[in-house]
Amino acid sequence: MPSRMSLSGNATQLADTSRARKAVLGRLYGRAPLPNLVGLDSPLDLVFSLLSRTVTSAEGNTGLLIGPRGSGKSAVVQRALDMLESKHGRGAAAAAAAATVPTSKYHVVRLSGFVHTTDRIALRDIARQLLIEQDLENILIGSFADAFTYILNLLRSSGDGSVPPVLFILEEFDLLAQHPKQSLLYTLFDIAQSQQTPIAVLGVTARIDVMDLLEKRVKSRFSHRQIYVQCPQKKSDFVEIARSALHVDASSDGVAKTFAQQFNAQVDEILAAESVARHMAHIFDFGKDARQLLYLFVTAASQLSAQNQLLQLACVEASIAQDVASAKMQVLSSVSLLELCLIISMKSLVQGGSSKYNFEMVYNEYKTFMSRHLLVASAGGAMKVYKKPVALKAFETLVELEIVRPVATSMAADGGGSYGRNDLLAGSAQSARAPKEYRMVQLMLEPGQVVELVLDRVDVPAVIRRWAQQ
Amino acid sequence: MSTIGERLLTKFPGRNDQIEQLLSLLGEPEDPAPPCVFVYGPSATGKTSVIRDLFSEYDTSGCHYAYINSVECFTPRLLFERTLNAWAGHVPSPENRFSNYARCDNLVDFVNSVRDLLVTSGKQHEARYMVIDQAERLRDRGPMLLTSLLRLSELTGGANISVVLISNVVWDKFRPRHGGAADPLSIFFPYYTKQQILLVLAKDCPVDEPQSFFLTFVDAVYEVFHRNCVDLNELRHLVAMLYPKFVQPVFEQQATRNEFARLFKLCQPYFAAASERLYLREISTSEWQKYSAVASAKNNPEDVATSIYHMAENSDGMDLPHYTKFLLISAYLASYNPSRLDVQYFARGKDPTQKRKRKGGGASAAAAEDALGGRDRQQLLGPRSFAIERMLAIFYSVIAEPVDSAVDVQTQIASLITLRLLTKTSAGDRLDGIKCKCNVSLEAIRAISRSVRFEIDRFLYNFT
Repeated sequence: MPSRMSLSGNATQLADTSRARKAVLGRLYGRAPLPNLVGLDSPLDLVFSLLSRTVTSAEGNTGLLIGPRGSGKSAVVQRALDMLESKHGRGAAAAAAAATVPTSKYHVVRLSGFVHTTDRIALRDIARQLLIEQDLENILIGSFADAFTYILNLLRSSGDGSVPPVLFILEEFDLLAQHPKQSLLYTLFDIAQSQQTPIAVLGVTARIDVMDLLEKRVKSRFSHRQIYVQCPQKKSDFVEIARSALHVDASSDGVAKTFAQQFNAQVDEILAAESVARHMAHIFDFGKDARQLLYLFVTAASQLSAQNQLLQLACVEASIAQDVASAKMQVLSSVSLLELCLIISMKSLVQGGSSKYNFEMVYNEYKTFMSRHLLVASAGGAMKVYKKPVALKAFETLVELEIVRPVATSMAADGGGSYGRNDLLAGSAQSARAPKEYRMVQLMLEPGQVVELVLDRVDVPAVIRRWAQQ
Repeated sequence: MSTIGERLLTKFPGRNDQIEQLLSLLGEPEDPAPPCVFVYGPSATGKTSVIRDLFSEYDTSGCHYAYINSVECFTPRLLFERTLNAWAGHVPSPENRFSNYARCDNLVDFVNSVRDLLVTSGKQHEARYMVIDQAERLRDRGPMLLTSLLRLSELTGGANISVVLISNVVWDKFRPRHGGAADPLSIFFPYYTKQQILLVLAKDCPVDEPQSFFLTFVDAVYEVFHRNCVDLNELRHLVAMLYPKFVQPVFEQQATRNEFARLFKLCQPYFAAASERLYLREISTSEWQKYSAVASAKNNPEDVATSIYHMAENSDGMDLPHYTKFLLISAYLASYNPSRLDVQYFARGKDPTQKRKRKGGGASAAAAEDALGGRDRQQLLGPRSFAIERMLAIFYSVIAEPVDSAVDVQTQIASLITLRLLTKTSAGDRLDGIKCKCNVSLEAIRAISRSVRFEIDRFLYNFT
């Protein structure tokens, strides 16, 4: 790398490297915010104005932030809250500050559909986030709205008589909307609309049809303010996201200015490299997911050390290669020959028109082929027909790797959502009565992939190779 | 840091890339930890041992990582409570009445407990790791658990927490359907190559044996078995079992260590036996040691052959009463033969083979062969369920002498069902019209038929 020689390993530069490593990794992992949000200015303005109007002029506001996964919704919300904080002082929401007396002007309550799976759990957590220590068991018996008003009253009495603004951030809003009766959402929207208490409710979701999930009474209390976050429109913006995560800044990341320059120059060089640019374009064309983009650089960033003080192009290229390679094919690239033969048998069964098959059929196919070609094969290399139990053991290895999956006899019974155990013995009630050799299975590979798999290996006898290509 | 690396590299040969990658991801305790790391690879590639050793060396206090086996912790609550115990250094004991650090019924409790724990421990910035082994099981613990674990650090307000998932299934099979979380960083543990296997097994070399000699043997074992098995554990097992037999001639002055080919030839019968019986665990380790001690090449080659035969002989436990054997045979016939051919096969006074040649076998078997390449044969499709009455009719037809007591026959059917040789397919509480399937393999039924001198092959339709 170009500037290696100039970086002699003295102590300050070592510290610079480790600080740069920490800062860059934090941003890549999403633990630290990116210094600038690329292409998200307009949603940021809208979210900030919505939240700040509640704080400054005690308005009740409701809104929905909608955008695909990985487009930066949470980053927008976080940035808006940070901006509010710098303007109005620390919000008392973070539970970490439980010990301190809430002196600030507003509260932030964060709920997530993943965690708060019922309204009751959500309510208790709201109380906890609002720093109410009182035991809530007795008030949770009544209706949700009553309990909620009670909590707000407690908040009022603990303050100076008026309720401070409360900002509700509802992540995974669509999951919260699936709670029965939607009483949490109803209550929140109702309070926001009735103006007695200044609260802002900001739902964050990836579902574009989220409005259809709301009940009529909930929908009518919602302000219908929808803010859309879009994935980067241009490839250059996409690259800019990576650049802003990887660049170190002398002042905020605490590294020496010269080091920062060298580091950033190297980052620019890597981002401009042809292989990296091509892969970034690939990610952009397929998913536009910024998180996937940033993860590409994690390996390189984590290897920053006394020896490698700058990011290494080779590391990035290695992780690109890892990203491109199909994990399934990697696992299969070194299975034993017998397992490979069974895979090829299944492929030829598929090509013969069977959509599902069991071990007996696969073994029969294998045996037929082997008996036909054994003479040819044994001349070239040592090959023998393995007995059925040995083949079954190899087959079970494939099942364990989930390359072979039992055919679900009824999709409805599966519930759609559950994955189920991949085990020949775990099946629906009907197929569970058959011995495991007769359970119907399917190969999770395309015929083309099987051919590719065989051709990539060097230790496959020519007969088998030809068989796979048939 | 590098000392940990060196120690691990000598302990786990052939896993250099993975260990280096993991160590560079871990970094210093205060460094930001990746939200989720996904470690995958086939079984017996050292995933769990590398990770466990790595963390126990890396984290000397033991309070920064929690190792959880997902099979053991089969509910989210167990998983959460174990994690908290490990992070807090809390051990359930008689003093604390075996209580856990905190009670976590749901994710909210866990997230809050984690926050409190981090605050009270005073080491908020040090990374905490949650290592979950056999993570593929997490997929059937509710749709949200996996997603929430992937976003754990986000949910705990940006705490420096990392979840390490270990699995032998690729990430494609994990990806939550609603796409709630980004793909984690993945680290792949491939199968060991031949060179790596030799390096690993060199550590198994008995202390008083020359290592190069041992490795030549391991090489030979690998060459024999690698076509059907590349699993390190299996190869280790085989090497451990076969090596005593291999060196035995040396101690019995039959051959010297230099005559490798001769030693190999003397050991050949054991290899043959091992490839089936030992590999399939049909014979236990202690049985193998007992029987293989009987035979040695010193006595004479024939003895070796007999003792191997003894090992290979299947003294299967199917010691059923005479009539019960016939019941089972008739159940097998009822399961695998089409009922329309029953008259041809079992009508009295007719020779089944003649009949079959003229009508059943030739024409229709050929037709089946044409349609689907013979792939829909009952032999391949597995047993069909049959009405118990049909089985009884076949039973009375195949058995030579008349049977008096119908009651005993019914009792025997019940006991066959208890033994799982027959499985009942009709509803459990139904008393009439019972339907069953025969659960016995062709090899087993052939052995049974031989023992009662019944030629079952003459009665089976379309079998090969």
